[in-house]
Parts: sequence; C-alpha cells; structure tokens
Amino acid sequence: MRLLLVEDDRMIGESLQRTLRLEGFAVDWVRDTAAADATLASERFDLVLLDLGLPRGTAGGPADGLEVLRALRARRDATPVIVVTARDARGDRVAGLDAGADDYIVKPFEFDELAARIRAVLRRHAGRAEPLLSHGGVTLDPAQRRVTLHGQPVLLSAREYAVLEALLARPGAVLSRSQLEDRLYGWGEEIESNAVSVYIHQLRKKLGAGFIRNVRGVGYFVDAGAGGADR
Amino acid sequence: MNSLRLRLLVSLVGLLALAAAAMAAITYHNVLGETEKLFDYQLQQMALSLRDQGEIDPLQADTLADAQLDVVIQIWTVDGRAIYASRPHASLPARALLGLATLSVDGRAWRTYSVATSSRVIQVAQPVAIRERLAAHAAWRSVLPLLLTTPVAALAIWWLAARNLAPLERLAREVRTRDARSLAPVPTAALPDEIAPLATALNALLARLASSLDSQRAFVADAAHELRSPLTALKLQLELLRRADDAETRDAARVAIGEGIGRATRLVEQLLALARSEPDAVLPVDDVDLVAVARQAIDDSHAFAGARSARIELLATEPAFVRGDAVALALLVRNLVDNAARYSPPGARVEVKVRDEGARVVLEVDDSGPGIPEGERERVFDRFYRRADAAESGSGLGLAIVRSVATAHGATVGLHASSLGGLQARVEFRARPR
Repeated sequence: MRLLLVEDDRMIGESLQRTLRLEGFAVDWVRDTAAADATLASERFDLVLLDLGLPRGTAGGPADGLEVLRALRARRDATPVIVVTARDARGDRVAGLDAGADDYIVKPFEFDELAARIRAVLRRHAGRAEPLLSHGGVTLDPAQRRVTLHGQPVLLSAREYAVLEALLARPGAVLSRSQLEDRLYGWGEEIESNAVSVYIHQLRKKLGAGFIRNVRGVGYFVDAGAGGADR
Repeated sequence: MNSLRLRLLVSLVGLLALAAAAMAAITYHNVLGETEKLFDYQLQQMALSLRDQGEIDPLQADTLADAQLDVVIQIWTVDGRAIYASRPHASLPARALLGLATLSVDGRAWRTYSVATSSRVIQVAQPVAIRERLAAHAAWRSVLPLLLTTPVAALAIWWLAARNLAPLERLAREVRTRDARSLAPVPTAALPDEIAPLATALNALLARLASSLDSQRAFVADAAHELRSPLTALKLQLELLRRADDAETRDAARVAIGEGIGRATRLVEQLLALARSEPDAVLPVDDVDLVAVARQAIDDSHAFAGARSARIELLATEPAFVRGDAVALALLVRNLVDNAARYSPPGARVEVKVRDEGARVVLEVDDSGPGIPEGERERVFDRFYRRADAAESGSGLGLAIVRSVATAHGATVGLHASSLGGLQARVEFRARPR
C-alpha cells in the first residue's frame, strides 16, 4: 500500500513515515501544499494522510490542506484521504469531511488508532465490509499483519506481505510489475531489479504454485475463481 | 451608619431640630422684649392711677384682692407704715424703690413700679415669671408647626432618598449579573449625572477586563494548540521506539525522542517566559547594565551557537544602563541572539551592539543570515507565527517574547535590513532619568 503523507512538521513527518514503513506501507512525504498538489496530480496513491495547517511552499500553492483536498476532489480523484490535524473544532471537522475527507483524526493521536483508521478507510474504499482478506484458502488479516493458509500461519517478509495484500485486495485484477513496485517502495528507496519476481516466487513457494497467476508481459493476479492454492 | 439614606435623614432631621430650636430662642427673646415694655407701661399706669385717685374704694379693693390678679399693690405712708396691701404678700419687701425696679425675693423675681406722693408711697409689683411664661408660650406656638411637620418631612426625605438612590440599586443589580463570561457594559442611559461617571468608569474597567480575559483565553488556546505538535511527535517517536526491531532503528528513535522532549521543553519554557512578560505583569525595576546582560546572554547561547558554528561578537565600549528587570531583559537579548544564530547558515556572523546615545539606549543584533522580506517583518512578531521557508522548527514565540518584554519596558523593537547582509533587530530604550 502506498501512502502520501502531507505534513509540515519535521519531527512528526519523520517519525510517522518511519512507523508507517514498519507497518509495511510505502510512504512518501511532502511538506507543503504546492508539493502535495503537484504530487497528487501526477502520481497515484492508495491513501493520503493530510495535515491542514500547511505552508504554501510556492507563491501559487493552495492556501492550506483543505484547498489541496478540494482540488483533488475537483479533479474527480477518489483517492481516500484521512485528515490528520491539530484543528479539533467541530466546524473544522465538518469542513474537512465535507471537503471530501474520508476520515478525520486530531493530533495528538495514538498511532494504533491512525493505523486502524487507515485500514478501515482502505477496506471501505475497496468495497469490503469484513476486515479480513480471504481467497482460495489464504486469509490475510491487515490489522494483525498475519497470513494463514488453511488455518495454518504462514511467515512472510514485509515486502512479500505487501505484494500479497495488493493482489488479494482485488482478486482477478491484473497488477503490473511497476504497479506492484509502486506499492512496495516510497521515494528514495532503491528498487532492486526483478525484486517483484523474487517476491512472487517466494509467495508461490509458501502458498502453492498456482495461487498467483502470471499474464506474460502484463502482470500478476490471483484467480477470481476460488481454490487456486489447491491446484 | 453607612446608609446614605439614613445619613440624609439624620442630618436633615437634625437641621430641622436646630432650626426649630433657633426659632424658639429668637421668638422667646423677642416676645420677652415686647412684653417687658408693655407690662412695665401697664404697671406704671396702674400706679399712677392709684396715686391720682387718692383712696381705694371697697369695691375696687375686692377686685384688687382677687387672687387671679397677678399684680400686688402696696401702699405705705411716708414714714413707712403700711396702710394697704391688695393681697397679703409676706414675701414682698416692705419698702419700695421709686420708679421701675426688678427685685429678687426668696428666689422669685418681681418687677415693681413705685410712686410717691406727699403723704404715701404706692408700689405695684408683678412676678417676672408671668412674663417668661408668656414668652415661652409664644415661642412654643411658633415652633409647634415645625415640630408637627418634622415626621412628615422625615418620611418625605426617606422616600425621596430611596427614589433618588434607585438608579444606584439598578446599577448594582446590573453589575451583579456580570461574570467572567459576560462582561458586557452596563447601560448608562437615564443615570443621574452623579452616578453616570461611576457607570462609565465601571464600563471602562469591564472593557479592560474583557480584553485581558480574551487575550488570556486566546493565549491558553494557542498554547494548547501549539503543544499538540511536539506531543504528537513524541507519541510517534515513542511508538517508533516500541516497534523498532533492530538496534539502528532503536538508536535513531531514541535520538528523535530526545529531540522531541527538547522541543516540548523549549516550547513550555517560552510559553512561561511569555506569560511572565505580559504587558500587565508586574516587573521589578532596577538599574540594569544592558551590556552586562548582553554579555551573559551571548555566553548562554554559545553552546547552541557553537553547534551551529555562528560567530557572535559583542560591540560595546561602556556600560549602558536602562531601568527594568534584569531577568526579563536577559530573556529579550537571549531570544534575539538565539534567533540570529538559529536562522543563519553555519559560519554566519552575529553582532550584538549596545550604545548609550544619551536620550536613549539602543540594542542591535545583526546577522549575516538570509534575513526576512520586508513584508513579513511585522508578522513574525505574532505569537506562534512561523515562516514557511524556515528550516528550523522554533516555538514561534521568540519575537513575541521580545516585543512583550520591550513593551513592558516602554521600549520599541523593529526589524531592519542589516549591513551584515541579514537581519537587524533593533530595540530602543528610553534612557533612565539621571
């Protein structure tokens, strides 16, 4: 899962980025409205964590985080957005949600709560109500970051987990290598060539050779018909 | 006796009583004077008529002997033998002074008139007490109306006082409804001229209180808001430490927590400093040498400036005294020096100058850093204002503290372009009276 963190406070940004990475998210971080606007216009993210009180960065930048959000929705971009701010007045919450935020969390918050809200928003966005991703005998629990095969725990590395989560989120949909790389790496993180093939290989070894299918030259998917892991 | 009403009543009734007493005394005196002449004349006429008449006939003697008559008549022969007394009156002396006289007999005063013929001496006497009784009576009659109207006047005063003091009671009721949440001015319309100034003064006080409370509330709200960022950072840093699964991440998390605590501590210290230097805070006043204060402030900030490798110089030739609080002034200088060092690139120069110009004492802190554009130089004094392109995350309070301390000392502070290429902060104090 690839997140964009928009936060002007250096300490908060640094520690939030690191903690979210430990949670298995790929996190990119921008510090002003102009950079946030430009990044959101050109790249795709699974979710945005948006501070409201932000500097403009450049003279033409949106006035604050709320303007960034409005611009995003004006482009008919449905990327889920969680507002993370110190503004706790009811008016601010209402304005944030009405401007198109999917959720609103007030600083200072517990990281566990933020992580749970991120998972909940991602779940709703994918059109799922149940917290577990389950397919063909493989069950993935995003909250616990645990994967089981027919009830037996499977040990996965963080990156293997991230690839599996991306594929299970939309069974049947084909994800290209670069799409998967996007989910795995934030900016500035070095992408090892053929890393994705390596993780797919590892996953096949742990979950069964037929669980992840390959469309040559296009990408990977898990079969929409159940039972892939048995074949 | 603190009631205005009661005081008014007592003093007015007292005045009435005094007036009545004065009136009685004057009437008494006047009536006494009037009756004296009248009665003396009457005595005289009676004596003369007896002399001219010669004998007293028996019918007349009965009348003269009537106890109702307050006049006593005695007739003697020339050789002193009493031949007639209208009523036996032992107490009157058996001798007469010719003409009008006042005699005291057994403690009673008598007015007498005596005439002598060739053969007899006739004396007509009348007790003085009768005249006094008449005068007292007249005096009493003259003050009686006044005494009768006094209770009515007292009631009227009581009622009038209540009526005229009602606006005061209304004002008190209005003031009672005010508290920290509602400091609206009390209505001054229809207040008497004597009470209106009180209400006006009260409204001015209420306005000052409201503005002071508002700024306090805003300060507390701002402070609480500002504390959220360092606390959020600390929580996340702690979370990172908890989740770190290798030594390197753990060490980084520990360093970050140290920074986070340092930042929160600095913010709290600055908030306290600002609260203490609020314009209405009471500061001790001494003669303070600004040069010594600047030297100490530079020493204090050297640890920080050293890490940044800024060169700080103090340029001052002689002591420059201002009136003020040494602790607050040190805070002012330290914040200016810290700012200059903090927001300048490594290797920057910072110059602190203190000059006594006679009429004023000037403190200047120059740096060779990036400076602040002219349009933003006033805004940076706002509490919690942070410049968007500032690399350092300060508390946003430093310059607010500087201005607050300067204002409390009657000094002005402004930012200008520095000859060193960066920013110049300039504080001008009035010279202390010599």
